[in-house]
Amino acid sequence: MYEGGIYRTNYKEIDMENTSQVPVTVLTGFLGAGKTTLLNRILTEQHGRKYAVIVNEFGEQGIDNDLVVDADEEVFEMNNGCICCTVRGDLIRILSGLMKRADKLDAIIVETTGLADPAPVAQTFFVDQDVADRTKLDAIVTVADAVHLSSQLVDHHEAEEQIAFADVILLNKVELVEDNDIVKVNDRIRKINPFAKIIKTTRCDAPLDEIVGLNAFSLDRVLDIEPDFLESDHDHEHDDDVTSLSFVSDSPLDMDKFQDWFGNLLRTKGQDILRSKGILNFKGEEERYVFQGVHMLMDASPMGPWPKGKNRSSRVVFIGRDLDNMNLKEGFENCKSA
Amino acid sequence: MNADLEKLQETNKTELERRGSIFNIGAPATEAVTTRDQIAVGFGDGTVRFFQSGSDPKTVKAHKGVVLSMTNYEDHVLTGGDDGRFLKISSDGNIEEIFNFGSKWVDCVASHKDTKVCSSGKTVYIWTKNKDKPQTLEHQSTVAGLAFDNKGKRLAVSRYGGVTVWKLNNNKWTASNYTWKGSHGTVTFSPDTKYIVTAMQENQIHGWRINDKADLAMRGYPSKIKSFTWVGDTPYLVTSGSSDAVCWPFDGKEGPMGRKPIVVANGGKELATFVKALNGEKAVFTGFTDGSVLLAEIDESKKPIMIRSSTGAEVSTIAISSDNSQILIGDMKGSILLSSLWADN
Repeated sequence: MYEGGIYRTNYKEIDMENTSQVPVTVLTGFLGAGKTTLLNRILTEQHGRKYAVIVNEFGEQGIDNDLVVDADEEVFEMNNGCICCTVRGDLIRILSGLMKRADKLDAIIVETTGLADPAPVAQTFFVDQDVADRTKLDAIVTVADAVHLSSQLVDHHEAEEQIAFADVILLNKVELVEDNDIVKVNDRIRKINPFAKIIKTTRCDAPLDEIVGLNAFSLDRVLDIEPDFLESDHDHEHDDDVTSLSFVSDSPLDMDKFQDWFGNLLRTKGQDILRSKGILNFKGEEERYVFQGVHMLMDASPMGPWPKGKNRSSRVVFIGRDLDNMNLKEGFENCKSA
Repeated sequence: MNADLEKLQETNKTELERRGSIFNIGAPATEAVTTRDQIAVGFGDGTVRFFQSGSDPKTVKAHKGVVLSMTNYEDHVLTGGDDGRFLKISSDGNIEEIFNFGSKWVDCVASHKDTKVCSSGKTVYIWTKNKDKPQTLEHQSTVAGLAFDNKGKRLAVSRYGGVTVWKLNNNKWTASNYTWKGSHGTVTFSPDTKYIVTAMQENQIHGWRINDKADLAMRGYPSKIKSFTWVGDTPYLVTSGSSDAVCWPFDGKEGPMGRKPIVVANGGKELATFVKALNGEKAVFTGFTDGSVLLAEIDESKKPIMIRSSTGAEVSTIAISSDNSQILIGDMKGSILLSSLWADN
């Protein structure tokens, strides 16, 4: 139905009823934030579960698991007309290899290097059909160092991207920071990403069921979005800061208008839109439509009828750069059915 | 079991299934190659099993994880595994470790006469007769495919951004690059060695004419191409990746340039996952996502023959014995059909 990048329906998943998809958790975060600590907690505390861990060969060492695979973070451009579409070539190769194993894996964890951009990892799960058929992106978990995050956000756009892409953020080492500084760094995260769950930790001591097995990339989880926006404060923002916006409409949308607007938006501005999500009420449609996007790629599907007695309101959310110059509000308003 | 049901299942079987043997190995079949008198199959449990008509397969516990790649080598097979080992294996269970790469996978293997080749990461390692130390060829990105030409003088190495063709002169390898944007996987030389072709990460295959590096883009597939095979004297390059076997003509000066492929062996809503030429004939076996296999002539007016019925698991490998008498079909659930191709066998 939509244009703009690649449109993937979920018809394959219905076909694949005999093949269970292995969940993949992506761990991002700067060097020293505590990724390896978290990884070893997941591996040692979840007894009896079989994990494969994909680590960078230059990453931190000391991972306590039978099945550790070295990866080299080869980012490949896709030659598919999608200008910003990059994927992790090594991840496609490794996941395809792991899916040939005789013993079934309970989950796969991909640890990225400190300065990695999470987009190619996430896009791999949208672009490669074999990867999408046999595995599913469970969540992007970012470990942030409460002491250093503020300065890292200033110095490295990768730090911003890791926060923007995250479904869960562990704000780690809070014991080393004054309370009012924790509030400040928490607010800074919220401004970039109002949807991620923030867990404040010491030595990554978060409950593991809030980190793995979340299904955060599943379309029906889009229905859960409750953005936690701070009071708007545009005073000291730079043009290249990552911010977020959300719009709600109680009057039904016109499907054709929305497709035109949204397809064009992803095609032309997808490079700056890091993540997008939405629930849509189209005029004349009984079902709710949901979508979830990463840059120019997205996944969309009808998701059952609206709950009885509940407001049929459409909501879209965007995380990205330069959102103020995309006329998002106007564009969304124009999609309302006449 | 209900007798009627049993009868029904029996009648739904193909001729080859009725006269052949079925083995359930329980691990995906990853690769199959033909040795002199057997067919060796690598599996996702690390075993290599040697199949021969009329007897149970001989099992060799070769790798700790998955057999990722396999090729024939004299009377042996060479295998690469996700345990980092590059092995030479004989059907009597004798394993020789050629090299151990530790935590690095051995993704691709190739051989020509007494030369053994494998890749691990971005490097290709070449062992020639009577030399303990391999020669190494470096590349900018991970090697995704290896192929020798029929004389063993050139080795094509596919990778991100194209193919490096290495030429052997006076014991030295020199590189020539064939460039095309995108990520290139499995690679093959045409039988006349005038072309090289790769299967890409995108849903297309790409070829180059070797002498002038002219590009050939072959597109229009609904899925990634995982398998191709050269068929007949024309020859045709037959590929998987669509609901049919797609057959590109490589005759004349221009090959498939500006021409349309012939499509045979329609699988309905199933996609072709593996193709294998029937030696000496203008015909191809095509395996599909549901496990079924069709034999079709490269002729759109002829009807294909059902060789194997649906098993519910995609066909991952097909091999034909060296005397053209037996066919082996393996799938992602580890079901193997071994059967004689001809009724009077």
